[in-house]
Amino acid sequence: MGAWLFTFAFVINTINTFMQVHFTIMYADLEADYINPIELCSKVNNLITPEAGLHAFNSLLFLLNGYWFVFLLNVPVLFFNGRKIYNKLQLLDATEIFRTLGKHKRESFLKLGFYLVMFFFYLYRLVMELIAEND
Amino acid sequence: MSHHKKRVYPQTQFQYSAPPPAGSPGYAAAPGIAVAPGPQQAQQFLTPAQQQLHQQIDQATNSMGNMQLHNVPVVDPNSFYQAGAPSRPVVADPVAGSQYNEQPYSHIAIGKPMNQLYQIDLFQELPPPITDLSLPPPPLLVPPDKIVAPSEDANASPDYLRCTLNALPKSNSLLKKSKLPLAMVIRPYQHLDDSINPPPLNTDGCIVRCRRCRSYINPFVMFLDGGRRWRCNFCGLGNDVPNAFDMDSQGIPVNRYERNEIQHAVVEYLAPREYAVRLPPPSCYAFIFDVSQNSIKNGLLATATRTLLESLDSLPNHDERTRITILAVDHTIHYFSIPPDEEGDHIKMMDVVDLDEPFMPMPDTMFVTLKQCRANVEKLLSQIPEIFQSNILPKFALGPALKAAHNLIKSIGGKIIVTSATLPNVGIGKLNKRNEASVVNTNKEASQLLSCGDAFYKSFTIDCNTTQVTIDLFLASDDYLDVASLSSLARYTGGQTHFYPGFTALNLIDVTKFSKEFSKHITMDLSMEAVMRARGSTGLRMSCFYGHFFNRSSDLCAFPTFPRDQSYVFEISLDDELVRDYAYLQIAVLLSQNTGQRRIRVITVCLPTTDNLAEVYASADQLAMTAYYAHKGIETVMNSGFEAAREYLDKSVQDVLATYKKEIAMSNTAGGAPLRLCANLRMWPLLMHSMTKHMAFRSGRIAADHRAAALNALESMPLPHFIKTIYPTVYSLHDMPDEAGLPNENGEIVLPQPINATSSLFERYGLYLIDTGMDIFLWLGGDAVPELVMDVFGTQDIMQIQIGKGELPILEDSEFNERVRNVICKLREHDDVIIFKTLHIVRGASPSEPVNHASAKEVASLRLWATSQLVEDKVQSSFTYREFLQSMKTKISK
Repeated sequence: MGAWLFTFAFVINTINTFMQVHFTIMYADLEADYINPIELCSKVNNLITPEAGLHAFNSLLFLLNGYWFVFLLNVPVLFFNGRKIYNKLQLLDATEIFRTLGKHKRESFLKLGFYLVMFFFYLYRLVMELIAEND
Repeated sequence: MSHHKKRVYPQTQFQYSAPPPAGSPGYAAAPGIAVAPGPQQAQQFLTPAQQQLHQQIDQATNSMGNMQLHNVPVVDPNSFYQAGAPSRPVVADPVAGSQYNEQPYSHIAIGKPMNQLYQIDLFQELPPPITDLSLPPPPLLVPPDKIVAPSEDANASPDYLRCTLNALPKSNSLLKKSKLPLAMVIRPYQHLDDSINPPPLNTDGCIVRCRRCRSYINPFVMFLDGGRRWRCNFCGLGNDVPNAFDMDSQGIPVNRYERNEIQHAVVEYLAPREYAVRLPPPSCYAFIFDVSQNSIKNGLLATATRTLLESLDSLPNHDERTRITILAVDHTIHYFSIPPDEEGDHIKMMDVVDLDEPFMPMPDTMFVTLKQCRANVEKLLSQIPEIFQSNILPKFALGPALKAAHNLIKSIGGKIIVTSATLPNVGIGKLNKRNEASVVNTNKEASQLLSCGDAFYKSFTIDCNTTQVTIDLFLASDDYLDVASLSSLARYTGGQTHFYPGFTALNLIDVTKFSKEFSKHITMDLSMEAVMRARGSTGLRMSCFYGHFFNRSSDLCAFPTFPRDQSYVFEISLDDELVRDYAYLQIAVLLSQNTGQRRIRVITVCLPTTDNLAEVYASADQLAMTAYYAHKGIETVMNSGFEAAREYLDKSVQDVLATYKKEIAMSNTAGGAPLRLCANLRMWPLLMHSMTKHMAFRSGRIAADHRAAALNALESMPLPHFIKTIYPTVYSLHDMPDEAGLPNENGEIVLPQPINATSSLFERYGLYLIDTGMDIFLWLGGDAVPELVMDVFGTQDIMQIQIGKGELPILEDSEFNERVRNVICKLREHDDVIIFKTLHIVRGASPSEPVNHASAKEVASLRLWATSQLVEDKVQSSFTYREFLQSMKTKISK
């Protein structure tokens, strides 16, 4: 069971990592004028809620299965996303995007870092679980 | 997006192709001219520029109490020229070129003319010399040898573009150290009507631009290779000069040094087809009239329709294609189908109740060409007030109406002009009254009351931008209208929000103000599909953009329609060290005029650079700096509230004073040490301090709508009006000189000298005028002698004067009355903004006034309002200006 859970978490985490990479590239594109803000916002806004949703679902699975430590690792991001959605600030605003771009980029980078760390963490736990099952 | 990718201007990559063979046809005379006009020619060219320099300095000298400025800064520019000319390389060889001509000029750079620093003590300058406010900024000292054909307007006039620092620090560290902001205040259009004083226009379609950075050729380029090539002063690339550059449209050779783009820093081009996506569209106006109960009751509807009816003749319609549509809105949308005049006058009104998907019954007859339907439009406008006169619906479906109007005009683009007296309370974009009482004057005020109440007001502006639609708002009501949310509509579409609190058509003054402004606004010259881009020479990058427009890419501001009465602030960052002695900024505005022409207006400015902190300070422009801080302050308000914004403004002054003391003044006299600053900045602390007392920033209970309107005004006003709003002009009328108020030899009314905005200068028996840029207060001292009262108001008894909004009575036999009216008239006279200043008559306090007078309360609140404009005084709990300086001094001496 634990192995399956970590495989699943691993897959979701990978998807989220790619999404963050995608965001980061989009922001860089905006700075270099490859994309206009209206297009950027409509593209990124479509993905922001799914990303937060996937992450929340993942964390919930850990909580329900009693993996307290793994859940706690996810709590900061969960809280951050939850607060943004609660304040209805999650979506990008095309009219202000150039003033807030720095903030978005920083957020995207930090999340990317988080997902990368989690990538290896889940991989490690997956292997550990598999070994434990084999034993 | 067709424009170029990330622009990089490397310094060392000049590609110089082999010099073309000498003596190519048609260029026999070119080298002589191109290299540098000989000394005699130079003399003749230089005189005006020199004169101007001296003039500017003279002016500065006079204003600075006859300080000697002449002795140092201007080493005769001629001598530079002659020193520089012989050594100037004609054909830049690759080696010298790669160092960007630093070498040949290095000996000149040492003696580069710079503004000199004149130190003053702010405490010695009390009361502050307010005449400084009308002075031009420290001159841009550019020696004529940096200009191809030196002439008076080879460098852009400060009216068009002013930079906060007229000498740029060479490195970012120096800029950070100086604590001064680097930004420019841009005002591409000076008048509501384009025909007033237009810049020179090039009609031959020859637009020469740099291949790499796309900047336009300007008076500061350098011709190379005997005039066959020119070096871009922005990125340093050598470009070919096209043949058309030396010919007029008929192919007759012309002297390139007489071309407009070489002679003038502000120039307009007629743009060829490549600069337009489509043919210039006709001007389109969609009027949304609120016909809800409020609007009928306060007479807004009748006033607006009548004004529109009267202004139809002057609506921009040069190409006779102007189109118009009219929507009346309450809880439903009433469309009007207007047939062309020759097809009869049967106007149909169609009501659409479905607000979610407002459908358009007959789009072709609802959106009509003004010329063809003129009689019917007039008929409709005169009937609308009657049709709805008994409407008692308190509902107003603004959101659906905007979508409907947008659907009608989106194929062409244009303006949606809304008049409203009711909070939008039906359909999409529905707003609720926010709870003001609990948060006003607390930290939460900004975030709770001034944020955008519904996402619709932001997302809709994005649709408007893609379809080239501007929204202008005229809001007039006693009730809460949520100006903060609604103003987003105008903010991101290049529009403007106008707010008329307490409007009622019963008051003639209100009606005059509204109809004058509404009429001026709709008849203002209109241009569509405008974009504005700022370019800076190597190392300079525009980092932040403030004003009413939409940022379509990191350096392009888009305006669906371009207003004539706004100005913009762009913040500049220094990405690289500025290695050259001069840096350049260029603004290009591309727009389609109502005449059916696509035009480009190019504004270029050349700024000296410096390593010396004192020179940076000596060239700082106090007015432009204040405008920059206003925008920064507004940003701070939105992010962290009013208290934080006021602190930010104070802190900015403190930082500058501290830096000045530490880095430049260098005096270590403790205790009674003066508070030093340079003379060109001596009004800046006052302006910053006054700004914290402006309605937009000050503490205290201020209705959210007034706040939002004040913030909105500050962020878009042209600089001279902005300064007047921050620091009102006060005139003392009872003792004005004999010639004041009467026409001079040119027929212009002479204004008296303004006095400082402080009540300590107010005599109890005097008559004063306070001009705040938005309103005029006529302050009559409570102990004024009956003769004065008689002369001005035509009555002996001071208590009989009608106070509040009003006009002066016209007295035939009183010359003084006429002079006062002339002064008021003169203050209202301007052709660059639509504001019509309302006159408020205020009676000052007097021990002899009856205590329980009927209008006592009204008088008191009016007095409070008028005295709150006297910004050097204590306004509520704030400091006086002297106390402010004292506190600054204490803070920086810690």
